[in-house]
Amino acid sequence: MDRRTFLQATAAAPVALAASLHEDLPKYQIVSRYQPAAQPGMPGAYPGKVARVHAGKAIDEPSEKVDAPTVREMISQGMRALTGDADARDSWARFFNSADVVGIKVNCSGAPGIMSTPEVVGEIVRNLGVVGLKPNQIWIYERFQNQVASVHYDSFVPAGVHIWTAEHDRGSIAGYDPNTYVDVNFFGEEDTRSNMARVVTEHFTKIINVPNMKDHGAAGVTGCLKNIAYGSFSNVARSHSGFKTNTYSFIGTLASVEPLRSRTVLAIMDGLRGVWHGGPFSPSRKFRFYPKQMLFGTDPVSIDRLLLDVIDDKRKAEHATSVWDRSMAHIKSGRGYDNNPSVDRFVREPGHIEYASTLGLGVYEIDRIQVRKIEL
Amino acid sequence: MLGFLLAALLPGLYWDQGPKTADVVRQAGIDRVFVPAGQEGAWKTAGIDAQPFDASKFVKLPAPGVERRMNVAAATSMPWVNGNGWRINRDGRRQYYYDVRWRTAALAAAEAYVYGADAVVHPEPRDLTAFGQMLAFLKSVDQPALPVMANIAIIDDGSEETGEVLNLLSRRNLLYLIVRAPDTAYDLNVQIGTKDFPKDAALDPSAFATLVRQKLTDEKRLLRIYGSEVVLGKVNGDGQRLRVHLVNYGGGKVDGLRVRVRGTYQHGKLAAFGIKNPALADYEPADGATEFTIPEMGAYAVVDLEK
Repeated sequence: MDRRTFLQATAAAPVALAASLHEDLPKYQIVSRYQPAAQPGMPGAYPGKVARVHAGKAIDEPSEKVDAPTVREMISQGMRALTGDADARDSWARFFNSADVVGIKVNCSGAPGIMSTPEVVGEIVRNLGVVGLKPNQIWIYERFQNQVASVHYDSFVPAGVHIWTAEHDRGSIAGYDPNTYVDVNFFGEEDTRSNMARVVTEHFTKIINVPNMKDHGAAGVTGCLKNIAYGSFSNVARSHSGFKTNTYSFIGTLASVEPLRSRTVLAIMDGLRGVWHGGPFSPSRKFRFYPKQMLFGTDPVSIDRLLLDVIDDKRKAEHATSVWDRSMAHIKSGRGYDNNPSVDRFVREPGHIEYASTLGLGVYEIDRIQVRKIEL
Repeated sequence: MLGFLLAALLPGLYWDQGPKTADVVRQAGIDRVFVPAGQEGAWKTAGIDAQPFDASKFVKLPAPGVERRMNVAAATSMPWVNGNGWRINRDGRRQYYYDVRWRTAALAAAEAYVYGADAVVHPEPRDLTAFGQMLAFLKSVDQPALPVMANIAIIDDGSEETGEVLNLLSRRNLLYLIVRAPDTAYDLNVQIGTKDFPKDAALDPSAFATLVRQKLTDEKRLLRIYGSEVVLGKVNGDGQRLRVHLVNYGGGKVDGLRVRVRGTYQHGKLAAFGIKNPALADYEPADGATEFTIPEMGAYAVVDLEK
């Protein structure tokens, strides 16, 4: 067995195990030179544990103006509740030190209507500074330049913090690592590789995942798993064709690839705003809502399991189809999905979260998830 | 896997702007032109070698390029590549004529060169400089042709269905050579109308190309291209050396292209039209294959590999 094959086989072992439980899944080949950490960041130090902080004044609904002092308090309380520390500095110091280079995986696919809120990202950066990181050791990253440019994170973080996108021009692979990828043929596409962003493999020692609370027409919802997976790899939209999507297994598979899995040590789900239909985009306020909460944890599966209920409960309240609905009667091509919450574009795959748990990425069963609730 | 040798041909220019433009032609680095019959004497007087152009002796080729077809119901749109390589492969002994729109003359010249076509290009006047630059680039990379390499031997019955299959195989970089009889030297033999490749299957050329790909398997393919759906490749080699031609039909620059060829080659060199100081990146010869990245390319790039 040569070196490359050995590394592939090692990295692919959890995927092979999961695939054996679902024989009809696509055949994934994972290529990575990176070995897992002794304790991979996902599910990390706190599997099955989530701190949920709700603050009624975090955002003003009519103006969508964010209250920065409240955000600061939410993050402080959330981190302390997750770790059990009395001082938030100690909580941050559990994850990061002055030698780290930290990537903050924001989500800007719905920008400028919804994105990882700049005030939230700014407060995360401030806390990294408190534990000794200099601005140039911090990278805010996303895939598409045009989406990030609309947010202006630079106004909320100190000079020197990098704001990096993998694709200045859509489709460019220059920002991706040619030696770290998942090879899979979904629909006969010619380019069968999805490569990991170079900054993840070559620069970061740690990653903070900052997704939003959003509905997703293909994946059911988009939270921690989808943000870190589809947001850190190239050529992922190919997983959808017609009404079928392979998000069920592709999201977890991507999230499990090293070094992404080991380096993603903290998730802070930004639910100040949310999208209950039409996600991941949010071109109008029609389907936006305001959960005014943030979830903290290291286990992306547990956080996303809670997200499922947030989105599905809201959809029920709005008399929309459930994220679990698989009826072909609701699936229509064209633009109906953008305006009608009872129309789907794809057969949704909210089961991707449970599938990710079979890859060892976290705890899915709701009765095994400990939620520490804080009301501000 | 080795086909017959093709002599490298540089495409000619058909120029109908009159002898008064001789200086413009000369400034573009061109010293031979095809001109409307009757003008050749005046052109020779102006110091440029000229031959009369008789369109009836040429097969006109469609302009190369891409069409963006948004009728595929997916999160992505797959561009439709209009390439002529399959036509030239089918009957390379003919003479071809390109009458091309603005910004495609250089692409047409590159395509004709790569597929060894005896071709004449009629550009828009404002494309003359680009055409001349491509011609100069082709001269700079020209070398005695190596044998054409292919995975697939296909018997061409001359039908429209087979033509469309050849088109689809080319567009998917499934490298083939047209043969008269099955040849076991190739990884896969394709003959429409046989048990493995029924005639009915060829009625859907796209599905047929998928069938060919499945039977060949991606592992055996001589060439894979990642990062673009609009770059088509051709490979020549003799076992020790490999020349990979890459033609970009997209019209713009490709920002990062990953290429995988079968065979382990220790050294690689890149020449890319319009790119200063081009160099291969992330070069990886391993496990019976060689991979490299072309950081940036315009209409045409050529990679020379050696063991």
